Amino acid sequence: MVGNKAVAYGVKLARVQVISAYPITPQTTIVQYLAEFIANGELEARFIEVEAEISAMVAVQGASFAGARTFTATSGPGLLYMHHPMMEGNQLPIVMSVVHRSNKSMQPDHTDTMAQNATGWMQLYCENNQEALDTTIMSYKIAEDPRLYTPCMFGIDGYILSYTAEPVEIPDQSLVDEWLPPFKPKWAPDPNIPVSEWKKMQGGYYGGQKAWITHDEHFKKSLEIIKEVHADFEKNFGRSYGNGIVEEYNCEGAEAVIVAMGTIASTARATIDDMRSEGKSVGLVKLKIYRPFPMDEMRRLAGKYKSIGIIDRNVCLGAGGNVFNETRSAVYDLDEKPRILGFHTGMAGDEVTPRMIQKIAEKTLKAVKQRVEPTVEWV
Amino acid sequence: MSKPVPFSKVEGEEIMSYGNSSCQGCGHAILARIAFKVLGKNTVYTSVPGCIWISLQGSIPLYWRGTVFEGGGALLSGISNGLEINGKHMQVVGFYGDGGTVDIGLGGMSAAAERNENLLWICADNEAYMNTGGQRSGATPKYASTTTTPATKESRGKKTEKKNTPFIIAAHNVPYVATASIAYPNDLIGKLQYAMTLKGFKYIHVQSPCPTGWGFDPSKTIHVARMMVESGIWPLYEIQGDKTFKLNLKPKELKPVREALSQQSRFRHLTDSEYDLIQNTTAEKWQQLLEIDGKVLPI
Repeated sequence: MVGNKAVAYGVKLARVQVISAYPITPQTTIVQYLAEFIANGELEARFIEVEAEISAMVAVQGASFAGARTFTATSGPGLLYMHHPMMEGNQLPIVMSVVHRSNKSMQPDHTDTMAQNATGWMQLYCENNQEALDTTIMSYKIAEDPRLYTPCMFGIDGYILSYTAEPVEIPDQSLVDEWLPPFKPKWAPDPNIPVSEWKKMQGGYYGGQKAWITHDEHFKKSLEIIKEVHADFEKNFGRSYGNGIVEEYNCEGAEAVIVAMGTIASTARATIDDMRSEGKSVGLVKLKIYRPFPMDEMRRLAGKYKSIGIIDRNVCLGAGGNVFNETRSAVYDLDEKPRILGFHTGMAGDEVTPRMIQKIAEKTLKAVKQRVEPTVEWV
Repeated sequence: MSKPVPFSKVEGEEIMSYGNSSCQGCGHAILARIAFKVLGKNTVYTSVPGCIWISLQGSIPLYWRGTVFEGGGALLSGISNGLEINGKHMQVVGFYGDGGTVDIGLGGMSAAAERNENLLWICADNEAYMNTGGQRSGATPKYASTTTTPATKESRGKKTEKKNTPFIIAAHNVPYVATASIAYPNDLIGKLQYAMTLKGFKYIHVQSPCPTGWGFDPSKTIHVARMMVESGIWPLYEIQGDKTFKLNLKPKELKPVREALSQQSRFRHLTDSEYDLIQNTTAEKWQQLLEIDGKVLPI
């Protein structure tokens, strides 16, 4: 099935109760599938057909506040339009699928999600359609963890996954039901709870610098919880994605690694396999998370490999690649640092071929032994 | 509407607590006291940024949530659906100002009305962005001097007429639209009680004078509100789901608009000819309302 259908099945399996979304390519078919599920009685949910993405975000926040499990989906420009309400509702465990869309074409890059890097939303990235379905289900378990109660978005590359069919295994509903029990938040309005008691159960972060500190500390806790939920998912469903935040692929004994996110990781697997078979000492690290940024994982990798080539399917205009910058920042205090190179590629959906990955990997490998220039380049 | 009821005869406890941080003579505080007693405890209400959130929210102990300025309609829609799918039946009420209703909130409100979401929208209209210092809104009447339409040498205040939001909403095929005034609490209570019996999108637009922004003595709020109704500037009416229009108050003779407006410093620059223009417009509109009274509107 296509990626958008895989996401829709994930939402259905999670027994989402309130969906709100606004049409935008290449997201639209996700909510079309969901509307069909509701219309033919396969999913008992309300679909609030809003007039704009801001309203989609606020509507699911209202429904989550009211105690419902919620879902929304969008792409590129729609996500940018949601930015304002995304800064609020930081304690509501909303799940959103972002089908990546550039602002320079309708094809994907990760500038859409990365522009939301300070909104307090967890950000996960998917490599294939199976991962899209599994990440949908995992996202609810993560977001609704009572230690966390934090919104979570996950991205799939537009067109490359959204409209491309791959074999996908759909887990049994009974298994999902057992693993993901109904959402029963304590903050929902309830006439049986006096208002004075109810007010004490309300979350959120407001008021002075202390509010930012509390929020930041709370948000960073999610890294461990994501790994925990992922391990539990693996135990119950038999599929895994590294440790839930990063995956080291064909890295045994490698001196250098390249880092990729989303579908580029898929292309890179084949390239790395070929290079390893030729005896080249380069592996692949797939980064599944971008927020919170896995600083400790990056330091761990930096201690293990002599050279790291970071592929950014994004650009922070005027300041380089987001993952490149944040990785360099993470490792700065290490006594022994690897060389870290940056590569922008696949922007606005431009094709990323095995040959391009090979070029990136060769340069990264070369940096094991010597300084290479330029540090950052467009491929 | 239901039968008008005096405030003292409304059953149940008062919700609003004593003391709040609104300006002296604030119309919104009067409105909140009336409305929440009528709505009762089985109510979830919501705010968007503005005077109500800033100065009254802390004094209204009910289930509550606030959202972004543009999000009033969507938040209510989400709460209403989220409660209903979990089998909870509560009054879901938006208590917003004119900015969050007729300007930045209009798109979301229109969509919620078009979907006929089950909620009650109360617009507390003080006719400008009073919380940010009195800038004009789409609800500001023509000629009013505001901080962004100051009446000075080259300006006569706001250039255009007030947006007719109740009629805009009535064109959305919703079960109930009404105007009200804090000077007519019995009428307001009858409208609130009637709206509470209906399922779907209910809209009550309440004029709520602002001593600070309109420029009058805080002890005169009710008086000013009453004059606006008695002069025909703010008519009290309702539009049912079948589009039947009804004027709820028909004075035999309207008071001159000058009597209402001259008490407000936002109009103190008006010349005789400008008063005449407003008088003529008001009389013309009133005549039109009399003509459609009791009839089904072609909208």
